[in-house]
Amino acid sequence: MTAFLALLRRDLKVASRNAIPLLMATLTQPILVVLVFGNILPRLHLVAAEFRTVMVPGLMSITMLMAGVQGVLMPLTVDLSGSREVDERLLAPISVLGVALEKVTAGAIHAAVAGLVALPAMMLLMHRVTGVEVHPRWVALLPLVILCGLLSAAFGLTIGSQVQPRFSGLLFAVILGPMMLFGCAYYPWSGLSVIGPLQYVFLLNPLVFMSESMRLAVTPDVAHMPAPLLLVGTLGFAVLFTLLGARSFERRTVL
Amino acid sequence: MSAALSVEGLVKTYPGTRKTPAVEAVRGVSFEVAPGEFFGLLGPNGAGKSTTLGCITTLVRPTAGRVAVDGIDVVRRPREAKRRIAVVPQTRNLDRDVTVREVLTFHAAYFGLPRAERESRADRLLAEMQLTEKAAAKPLSLSGGLQQRLLIARALMHDPKVLLLDEPTIGLDPQARRMLWETLRRLHEGGLTLIMTTHYMEEADRLCQRLAIIDHGKILQLDTPAALKKALPGGRILDLWVRSAAPVGPRLEALPGVLRLEKVTTEGRDDSFERLRLFVDPKDGLLDRVLQAVQAGEADLQHVSLTQPSLEDVYIHLTGKELRE
Repeated sequence: MTAFLALLRRDLKVASRNAIPLLMATLTQPILVVLVFGNILPRLHLVAAEFRTVMVPGLMSITMLMAGVQGVLMPLTVDLSGSREVDERLLAPISVLGVALEKVTAGAIHAAVAGLVALPAMMLLMHRVTGVEVHPRWVALLPLVILCGLLSAAFGLTIGSQVQPRFSGLLFAVILGPMMLFGCAYYPWSGLSVIGPLQYVFLLNPLVFMSESMRLAVTPDVAHMPAPLLLVGTLGFAVLFTLLGARSFERRTVL
Repeated sequence: MSAALSVEGLVKTYPGTRKTPAVEAVRGVSFEVAPGEFFGLLGPNGAGKSTTLGCITTLVRPTAGRVAVDGIDVVRRPREAKRRIAVVPQTRNLDRDVTVREVLTFHAAYFGLPRAERESRADRLLAEMQLTEKAAAKPLSLSGGLQQRLLIARALMHDPKVLLLDEPTIGLDPQARRMLWETLRRLHEGGLTLIMTTHYMEEADRLCQRLAIIDHGKILQLDTPAALKKALPGGRILDLWVRSAAPVGPRLEALPGVLRLEKVTTEGRDDSFERLRLFVDPKDGLLDRVLQAVQAGEADLQHVSLTQPSLEDVYIHLTGKELRE
């Protein structure tokens, strides 16, 4: 446990020193989207005003997913393919599983903070825009943000320990892009009943559960997935990716 | 007293994939290292040195055999084994996001050292490795030699019993290499057990008390450098590069004073000269007799040299090959 906490302390210290670039990396995208889709397009009457309310929780979930990618996936890909800094950790008196779980924990904290910072940033940008119904319920928000953070970090571990760096461009085009477009970030899952049973295919996308979790927590007036389904989905994917990630991490690090 | 390190019947086979066959990297390696000994694993790239080291450090899972550090089985009790070893890896894997000083203090924290001890040890090792001035710099801004010293300082932070070094001087300039040798010698004199892989003969000869010459995953010979050299027949080595229609080898082998003849195969050299290595007892007139035999065989002679045997000669004698770079 000592080694686990020491590794976590190191990761949080390094992250806090790089807070500004890290925040820029995670916040630029949601802020720009809010400016265009939440401000410009509604004024041009090109999108409905409610869209602003619908996309705020979605953008939070995308922000968290990207934080998991930047905090765990990208560094791990570089590490495993060359710098091998991970070997120092593996030689510490801690199990391989312990090293993997520490990465998930640090990544989850990073992602949760990114999500929590994105929310007020977006609210600030839209505070004069009428028709935005964002009312965070903090009691639900905090545990859900942590859970979604865990899910995105575990996802980062799973993909990061499998992808070769030369495919990281492909990763955005083939995995992350579709995940975001079909992740119910810009529309509520319940609304998908219009497409019939295909609605359930969306449940294969972990981001759907993150978006719906945030929807429940910050825009309670918008229809969202039933809470039990959403909890089972988020928790289930978090556990699944932690297990898969830990396994492929071990395969890549101990030959 | 138990051995600092014992390796028994170690086998490591990397499983193949659909496209690549399985690789038997280590095929039954056994040796013991006594506490305080400086031990070397010498061999070409791909001989199995790094895999052996990986099995000792828990980063490679052995297929068969047993490795124990200070009596502790590294597969069954990896965490306890890891407390006793430290590794200077071939890839300089310094934490690039923190300062030189923090590389040391964080490493000590992973091993659970209390803060005051972390700080005092870091101060002492920075001074010992002449890195105090660089304490606030980022590791990647250091030269290769300094990075290597930082890796050694990091390894010493948790007070290991056994220090394992994988090709520690690779890529260093001659001055940095000599400085590193001095550092390693000092650590050895201080009582630390050191195990080093290398493919530099000079380095192995100067530093190691005992050497295992390893190739194709097996130990070919294990002894002190002096004993390894002594084991060569004759006492002198005569190298000849000849080109001839009929082989001159049989003529040379028959000469008095020539104890053994070996043909040396050299990878990547493509002249038509045959490289012969004669283990000779340099009695009176030996060179004359050899030259006469070469002339009598109408051979074209390009190069002659008479030398004391070196570790490299031992290596060539054992493998019939020059050391692959």
